[in-house]
Amino acid sequence: MAGDKPEILQGTLDLMVLKTLSVMGPLHGYGIARRIEQISEELAINQGTIYASLARLTLKGWIDAEWGTSENNRKAKFYYVTKAGHKQMKAEARNWERISRIIGRVLSLAERG
Amino acid sequence: MLDWFRTLASRVRAWGSAAQIDREFEQELESHLELLTEENVRRGMALEEARRAARVRLGGITQLKETNRELRGLPLAETLVQDARYALRVLRKNPGFTAVAVLTLALGIGANTAIFSVVEAVLLRPLPYPHAEQLFFVFQQRERDARVQTGWSYLNFLDLREQSHVFSEMGSNGNHELTLTGRGDPEVVSVADVTPEIFSLMGAKPMTGRLFLPADAKPGAPAVVILSESLWRGLFRSDPQILGSSINLDRRPFTVVGILPQSFRFSARTRSKQLWIPVTQDPLFAQWIPNRGGHWLAVVGRLKPGVTTAEAQAELDTINQRLAREFPGENSGWVIRMTPLGELVVGDVRPTLVMLWGAVGVILLIACANIASLLLARATTRAREVAVRSTLGAGRSRIVRQLLSESLVLGLLGGAAGTALAYWGVHTLGSLLAQNLPQVNPIRVDAAVLGFALALSAVAGSAFGLAPAFFAARLGFAAGLREGSPRAGESRASRRARGVLAAVETALAMALLVAAGLLLRSYSRMSAVSSGFTPENVVKANFSLYSARYSGPQEWLNFTNELLGRLHAEPGLQESALVVPTPIADTSINVVFDIVGFPALAAGSSRTADYAAVSPEYFQMLGIHLLAGREFDDGDVMSAPRVTLISQALARAYFPHEDPLGKQLRFAFGADSDAPRIIAGIVGDVRDVSPGVEPGPMVYVPFAQSPFPGSDILVRSSLDVSAVIAAIRRDVAQMDPDLAVGDVAQLSGAIQSSLAPPRFRTLLLVLFAALALLLAASGIFGVISYSVSRRTQEIGIRVALGASRATILRMVMRETLGLTLSGVALGVPCALLAARLVRHMLYGITTSDPATLSAAVLTLVASAVLAGYVPVRRAMRVDPLVALRHE
Repeated sequence: MAGDKPEILQGTLDLMVLKTLSVMGPLHGYGIARRIEQISEELAINQGTIYASLARLTLKGWIDAEWGTSENNRKAKFYYVTKAGHKQMKAEARNWERISRIIGRVLSLAERG
Repeated sequence: MLDWFRTLASRVRAWGSAAQIDREFEQELESHLELLTEENVRRGMALEEARRAARVRLGGITQLKETNRELRGLPLAETLVQDARYALRVLRKNPGFTAVAVLTLALGIGANTAIFSVVEAVLLRPLPYPHAEQLFFVFQQRERDARVQTGWSYLNFLDLREQSHVFSEMGSNGNHELTLTGRGDPEVVSVADVTPEIFSLMGAKPMTGRLFLPADAKPGAPAVVILSESLWRGLFRSDPQILGSSINLDRRPFTVVGILPQSFRFSARTRSKQLWIPVTQDPLFAQWIPNRGGHWLAVVGRLKPGVTTAEAQAELDTINQRLAREFPGENSGWVIRMTPLGELVVGDVRPTLVMLWGAVGVILLIACANIASLLLARATTRAREVAVRSTLGAGRSRIVRQLLSESLVLGLLGGAAGTALAYWGVHTLGSLLAQNLPQVNPIRVDAAVLGFALALSAVAGSAFGLAPAFFAARLGFAAGLREGSPRAGESRASRRARGVLAAVETALAMALLVAAGLLLRSYSRMSAVSSGFTPENVVKANFSLYSARYSGPQEWLNFTNELLGRLHAEPGLQESALVVPTPIADTSINVVFDIVGFPALAAGSSRTADYAAVSPEYFQMLGIHLLAGREFDDGDVMSAPRVTLISQALARAYFPHEDPLGKQLRFAFGADSDAPRIIAGIVGDVRDVSPGVEPGPMVYVPFAQSPFPGSDILVRSSLDVSAVIAAIRRDVAQMDPDLAVGDVAQLSGAIQSSLAPPRFRTLLLVLFAALALLLAASGIFGVISYSVSRRTQEIGIRVALGASRATILRMVMRETLGLTLSGVALGVPCALLAARLVRHMLYGITTSDPATLSAAVLTLVASAVLAGYVPVRRAMRVDPLVALRHE
């Protein structure tokens, strides 16, 4: 049922996590959080919230995880994008573009009015 | 779809190993904290501070764990609970609707569950023996007469068991009655003559003591007996010293070796006063053991695993040929057949049960249609709620699911109430069921029945929920908002659907009404029919003479003559007679006969007649008319020429063109079998099988020429029944204190109880038809009542514009009758189909009996008018002012 129609991601965070993983390859939670913080510069997120994103994405089958060893030689869970995740990301990106185009148009309309 | 499955699968998996996943998540957060702490230390923080800062940046661990758990939980189950809770609230807010719907459903599901508990016990559940599917009833049959399944002689059975290789075990039993003495008053008990193997064959376990061993059947073995638990508890007052003690059966001492528990039942024949003895020990029947020509033992065999019935039948055919070759006198003209034991037990109740099952199925359909119609009406008034919810963001599937779960909750509530009803029904009908059904498996509401009720509630709930959900989805949820008013009109499609539902209900109810009407008329004809004799004020009783004292025909006759003499001398007893067997009350005896001087019939056909041995007073006392010749008299004794009387039906069938008087018949039955008998007279026909079975050809012989070691005594008297019985018992006891008088009954009562099976099915079907009528009428009431309330405004305007009450009455009545008549039109073919299905149970009427059909139509129309009465009155009382102000 969930797969019948394109759904808007729970938040932009999910999309950001997905995008990060697809660009960087397998990463653990800390790595993802750091990367997002670096890219978005001022956006200081509560790092814990990315775990909700990871859980949601895992449930949808867009990402999966394996246990591995982190740079400080600790056991860590590494996430990576699945085939379904890549497909979904393309659709999401299209969707996002469409929405931002509409919003852009509405905003410019508002400016003119 | 695949995604959805994967999600569900991973959620279910996650659910299964929740604790482990929790631990892993904790570990993951732990390592995250470490990494953060290291980063902070690199930035120059002290370790303690770095750790605290890391914790702040990650957020509350407990909270994160909680969120994670929620995310991977089962949201489906959660929304289901949410839906159910919401549904319950909605239902509680509409107590009227809920009560009607639950009651309707309870009736439908209750009737189904009750009947299913019977169907399950009798038709579906295997017999209560280990591997019951391997058990077969093996019987002999005359080649010429395939209707009657007969038993075996002991010698034939021994040969069969020895020569058969397809059965792992075979046992036999024969039932009759003996007199038990030595424990207070003599008592008639049911005795099963068995071969020892029958118990291991049936998987019986003794309650105490032992079962029979092969040695018990050897000639000269000491006589032993096994009691039934109920006999032990009753007659023997649970005597703890019973094992090893001695009882007398027909004056022969038997040692009690065991007790069989109540739970062991062998087919329907196990009585309350039941005991078992080895066939070779029987004081009465053992004398027949050397006789190969008898047919009195029922044989059961357990087929070896892997053997097909065709292979078994082939072997039986071979054995049959061998028996016919070696003992042509006893076995030529006979065949051996087998049938599953279950078939034998279920016998002829299958059509009745299937019919009742169909009837309650129809009731459930009507109930569902009724509730679907109610829900449709409500869906219209709820359109606004649905519209609001969909505007607020509820998806279409979410709303349909909400509506469906509401009807599911309704279904389950109805199912629970229905199960309670079924429990009560099975309890109440218990004795009625016990009398009319084979009681090998107990009838009760058990796990299987409860499962059935649950499945039925779920299926019913989703069935009647689908219609309104469908309309709600199609309506386009916005419609409700757009129309703006909470009373926004019902869509045409939904109105038409409600009309169709009501018409279908009427049609289904009509089918049941017609079937019930046909059975009712059949039954009343059957019970009104003259049996050809007058049973009123006649008491019947039975005695059987034991061989220890009454060894042959002359002793039997001495006893019966003296008994008749004593009874004739009793003041107050008008008439007395002997008969074997009593018509209707006893099982009839059918014999094959030849007419001396007539050519033998072609193979495959035979002359048969029912047989009775009677004393001369018999015809006079039962009012059976003599049509030609003479009745029996006291001169028809052993030394006199053999005579017989024939019934009118026999004369018509076999002597169509000539006078039967003086012709001779010969039949192989009774003490003087095969002697030619002169036809001395013709008497009127008698229904000797059942009041519902047309009288067939019948022959009578004088008891004095063909005596039995025992007989029925018929006594006509205007005295009280108990006084008559006391007189019979007193006379018998004076002649022989060890002789019991059993099977005491009023003849008219015995005839009534022979009508029990048709009465049983008629009663239940009439009950179900009444239920169907009630539900259909309430369906019509619902539609009309809703239609009137919907049209209150319109009616108000009409009244304001000058419409008279009569006009309004006509308007509403037209709608009611239109609905009913279209139901009737739809119902005629349904009714004819239902009538065809019960045609085998009809007596004296055709399936298209016009009187029944028109009575059903009249009943339907009358109840529709009645159902429409309340809404009509409301319509006629509509005050235009109030109605117009209404919105």
